[in-house]
Amino acid sequence: MSPREWNFEEIAPCRWRLSRSADGAMTADAEVFASRDILNQALADASIEQVVNVACLPGLVGSSLAMPDIHYGYGFCIGGVAAFPAEDGLVLPGGVGYDINCGVRLLASSIPAGEFAPAAEGAGLALLQRIPTGMTQRSNYRLGKKEFQRVIGGGVREIVRSFGAEAGDLEFIESGGCLPFDSPGIVSPRAYERGSSQLGSLGSGNHFIEVQVVEEIYDPDAARLFGLEKDRVAVMIHTGSRGFGHQIASDYIETFRKRNLGRLKVRDPQLVHAAIGSAEGKNYLQALNAASNFAWANRQLLQEDVIAVFERILRQGRDKLGLRLVYDQAHNIAKFERHEVGGEAVDLLVHRKGATRAFPPGHPDISERYRAVGQPVLIPGSMGSRSYVLRGTGHGAEATFASSAHGAGRRLSRHQAIKFSAQADVRDRLRRAGVLVFSLSAQGLREEIPEAYKDVDDVVAVTVASGISEKVARLRPLLVVKG
Amino acid sequence: MRNYETFSTTADTGIRFMGRDFRELYGNALRGLNLLLFGANLRSTSGCDSAPFAFRGDGPENVLVNFLSEALAQVYGRQRRVAAAVFRRASRSAIDVRLLLAPCRRPPKVDIKSVTYHNLRVEKKNGVMRVAIVFDI
Repeated sequence: MSPREWNFEEIAPCRWRLSRSADGAMTADAEVFASRDILNQALADASIEQVVNVACLPGLVGSSLAMPDIHYGYGFCIGGVAAFPAEDGLVLPGGVGYDINCGVRLLASSIPAGEFAPAAEGAGLALLQRIPTGMTQRSNYRLGKKEFQRVIGGGVREIVRSFGAEAGDLEFIESGGCLPFDSPGIVSPRAYERGSSQLGSLGSGNHFIEVQVVEEIYDPDAARLFGLEKDRVAVMIHTGSRGFGHQIASDYIETFRKRNLGRLKVRDPQLVHAAIGSAEGKNYLQALNAASNFAWANRQLLQEDVIAVFERILRQGRDKLGLRLVYDQAHNIAKFERHEVGGEAVDLLVHRKGATRAFPPGHPDISERYRAVGQPVLIPGSMGSRSYVLRGTGHGAEATFASSAHGAGRRLSRHQAIKFSAQADVRDRLRRAGVLVFSLSAQGLREEIPEAYKDVDDVVAVTVASGISEKVARLRPLLVVKG
Repeated sequence: MRNYETFSTTADTGIRFMGRDFRELYGNALRGLNLLLFGANLRSTSGCDSAPFAFRGDGPENVLVNFLSEALAQVYGRQRRVAAAVFRRASRSAIDVRLLLAPCRRPPKVDIKSVTYHNLRVEKKNGVMRVAIVFDI
């Protein structure tokens, strides 16, 4: 069937449904939160077929979902969300992705943008010098095996205990920065080898540290609670579990294949899965927790590095600079959550691959400070473009298992982006637009040109129009450190 | 299609390669990977160490993923590129091979983190096997 023959029906603004009757193998409907343009792009790049493939999996609760930043991945589309019963459902490593707990962290500050501007060049160079970026094996935190095991068991709690991070940050991190893990034996030696040399590093690809200014406030009450003030500096950090998470994902896809592939009917081998209650399912979920803890610890250590650079460059302490964590959220993860389905509370394993959790106001699992307005939802734009802070809504909780978009979403492949750009252009053009770019990788910069991504304004407009999140603030980049 | 070549998807990148038998197929997989990593299939083996490796799988797709994953582990973990492979056995379920490992004199052009199974199928037509492998980067 040609992808363009899929018969989507717009059942609500920016919410498109493909009935399960469209394909004999579908066990559930597919739903895409998109404008007509974004839907057409998804049809053209075959990511809709990936949403349909997920809708063919047995036991799916609700629909196979795709967020407004949908684009082609492997197995799941990026922006894909799928929920299975916690009791007897499925777990799919392909529904999480390789970079387990890749995520975004936002710091607010009381630094006026005008005061930061003269120090921006120095701050960018200092960040690039201090923080390992790209493919380097350099780490500021080379740990022995026991120390490393404490980090993957304790996540940010271990960083608070052993590295002096602020205990107060824990309540502003999804799951308090720690998921249960107590089985070090289920992680392969190669994963330990890859992970132990990469803690506290940014990585490559689309990972970044961005110093931004709060440009626009849409929701003053929520912004005040999140600590965001117009014309003040903020810092966004985007990275994940580095080689540690990738190795765990590879190891368990291999394990799942060996045990299950022969008897599974999947359209793409990347959708290999196991029962949550099976030995391999339980082990994968434990290992996923270890990788998630690594990623939260990694972002916490990068935050400590950023704060140290700011303190040195601006010659003031953290408190004086008003640097505080707004939120840290995962966008590649599977978590046990309780949701209302058909009027009943049901325990589910929610897979989000390139999708953000967006709990609504009143949800008990978000910080008390934010409970009245809902969980912050961080949507970074492409390099040089605006980023947004949104908040979860009651409608989103109903329609998407409390999920939202996670970024702009790629539009051009990396090869296309390189062809499109000239390296000198990227830095100069962004500098002229008021954004300083720092990177050790010329090719990496060309791959990440703004044109390589969808317009984040369009993604956010759809996110808001469909009611799955509401806008709180818009942030403009001042400087970017790219991996 | 050439014996091996690179391609891009929206978010990721990969290699396509072919072979009339498994020895040629696996050899071209390695050449394609080197093309992607270093911009050329570097054949120089000066300063190489060599070591025996064995890869097993439930089919050629599984064998390929294991084989290429080891080549990547050498590059990123040990800073050694697999300059060449001398196959002693190459079948649909096994590779016994001596890998020639040379120090990476320059960093790879791309940071490949994993070999995926995304739509991975060895397809045979007119006596030639063809494969496309997507990497997570």
